[in-house]
Amino acid sequence: MQRRVFGLAVTLATVVAAAGCGSSSSGASDSASSGGGTTQVKVGVIPIVDVTPLYLGQKKGFFTKHGIDLKMETAQGGAAIVPGVVSGQFQFGFSNVTSLMIAQTKGVPIKSVVNGVATNGKVGADVTGVAVKKDSSIKSAKDLVGKNVAVNTLQNIGDTTVRESVRKAGGDPSKVKFVEMPFDQMPAALDGGQVDAAWMGEPALTIAKGQGARVVASPFAETDPKLTVATYFTSTKLLEQKPDLVKKFTAAMTESLEYASQHPDEARQMLTSYTKISGPVLKELTLPTWPTEIDMASLQKLASLGEQDGIFGGKKPDLNALFS
Amino acid sequence: MTPSATTSVTTKPAGTDTGPGAARNPRRLGGAAAPLRGLAGLAGLVVVLQVLPHSGLVSGDYLPPASEMARALWHLLAEDAFWTALGDTLTGWGLGLAIAVAAGLVAGIVIGSVPVLRAVTASTIEFLRPIPSVALIPVAVLLYGTDLRSVLLLVVYASFWQVLVQVLAGTQDVDPVAEDTARSYRLGGWGRVRYVMWPTALPYVMTGVRLAATVALVLTITAELVIGAPGLGHEIAIAQTSGAVPQVYALVLVTGLLGVAVNLMARAVERRALHWHPSVRREG
Repeated sequence: MQRRVFGLAVTLATVVAAAGCGSSSSGASDSASSGGGTTQVKVGVIPIVDVTPLYLGQKKGFFTKHGIDLKMETAQGGAAIVPGVVSGQFQFGFSNVTSLMIAQTKGVPIKSVVNGVATNGKVGADVTGVAVKKDSSIKSAKDLVGKNVAVNTLQNIGDTTVRESVRKAGGDPSKVKFVEMPFDQMPAALDGGQVDAAWMGEPALTIAKGQGARVVASPFAETDPKLTVATYFTSTKLLEQKPDLVKKFTAAMTESLEYASQHPDEARQMLTSYTKISGPVLKELTLPTWPTEIDMASLQKLASLGEQDGIFGGKKPDLNALFS
Repeated sequence: MTPSATTSVTTKPAGTDTGPGAARNPRRLGGAAAPLRGLAGLAGLVVVLQVLPHSGLVSGDYLPPASEMARALWHLLAEDAFWTALGDTLTGWGLGLAIAVAAGLVAGIVIGSVPVLRAVTASTIEFLRPIPSVALIPVAVLLYGTDLRSVLLLVVYASFWQVLVQVLAGTQDVDPVAEDTARSYRLGGWGRVRYVMWPTALPYVMTGVRLAATVALVLTITAELVIGAPGLGHEIAIAQTSGAVPQVYALVLVTGLLGVAVNLMARAVERRALHWHPSVRREG
């Protein structure tokens, strides 16, 4: 269902972009108008661990220093963020790279401006993982063949990288059955036996592990130990009209990413300000890495995996145009 | 989602508060006994919620006992974010309802008093009315992003029809004799609306407003939950993605209590506005 919503959103975003963005002029100028040397910038994000550097950077004043009055708009998924950015409701957005590639192949005018988040590269202790019940017969990624695996969005970064894990373990990835389900419902579904395995992000993964689940695959780290998972992006329109603003945002964001990488404990603590994660889960959840540079080689790998799975509708994403 | 929510809303307060038509039921269940019985039902629910996770029928991880929900709720009440969210939700609800009621009233009275207009719009209204407001979510997101206007679009769309349809029904119910009498006394167009149509339609209007009030709340929460507009629904979504199960239930309880409050308020307003009407006048 999420995929369909996403698809619809992407389609609508395309329509709006094609129609010349009826509302965008007012939206962008309202919220991006400068007052007293600072520009208000709205960033569409998902309230998850990955965007901690943004909040941390805001707290540390990295954005104000660059004349940006940052305002986070939390949406429940990329489905609301991509159209929001294209129509000018948000100046920037946060999205996983596969969704950006899909959007690009559908003609949505967006461009990535700064890195967002990457895997920590640790197989078995990555930010996402395929978990099974304690007593499950599944011991490795190869055993996922013929089993039901939950992913948060079908035809996206989750199933693509899980297939790669299975492939690398010597299994037939086409025989894995994927089921769509929000992350937060996965621990319960796994526990109740509705699915045999679940590809989870944080904090669901830590919660499931706390209930005894075992991690049998780390798709991101296994796809590429430096896999760039998500980036911040903007509309090509804003990029043309306000290149300075984009530069300032990129600079402030880069500083924030560096700071978060150097101060993981502060980053972890920052989570309490915009999520309701607390207690042992907060202490134990796995942090991703926040490199400042996008890893193009890993994206090429991801794109070719996506092509193999046919998620771009037979087209080829133009990675250079999108990410560099 | 909207239609089912609407039906449950209309059927819940069975007997005591259906529209003016069904209001001839004797209401004399005893002044103090009725609220007591209601509280007993609530207490029973709390007991079930407390016992169920301990019985092993459901896992306490996913349905925490009532005591834990209460504790989570207690902690929530101390948070600024909670009160801001509550304010956002009430703003979305109140504004949406006000716009819907005003628009529904004006449109209803205009359409209802011009037979041609009524004939022309009837099929359009019947076509637009059943479109669930949630189906407009992608449009709302596209036009207004995640701010209040998205919420208003959904809320106004859903509640407008509730009011409009009732107003239209009300304007049709005008007694022809009263109408003719008003005409022979040379009451003008405005006078007839004010002294003939309005009193006839008011009970219907009030029913519409009461329904709209609940529907508006349902849609406000839905919009926040799905789109991510600030408010209680969004807090629920954040708690959900954070795996904070007791907080999710605590917030859900708050929305439930809001629903009860809205319903009580709407009934109070109705009673005041219709104090002269036989359905409200006890000795009628």
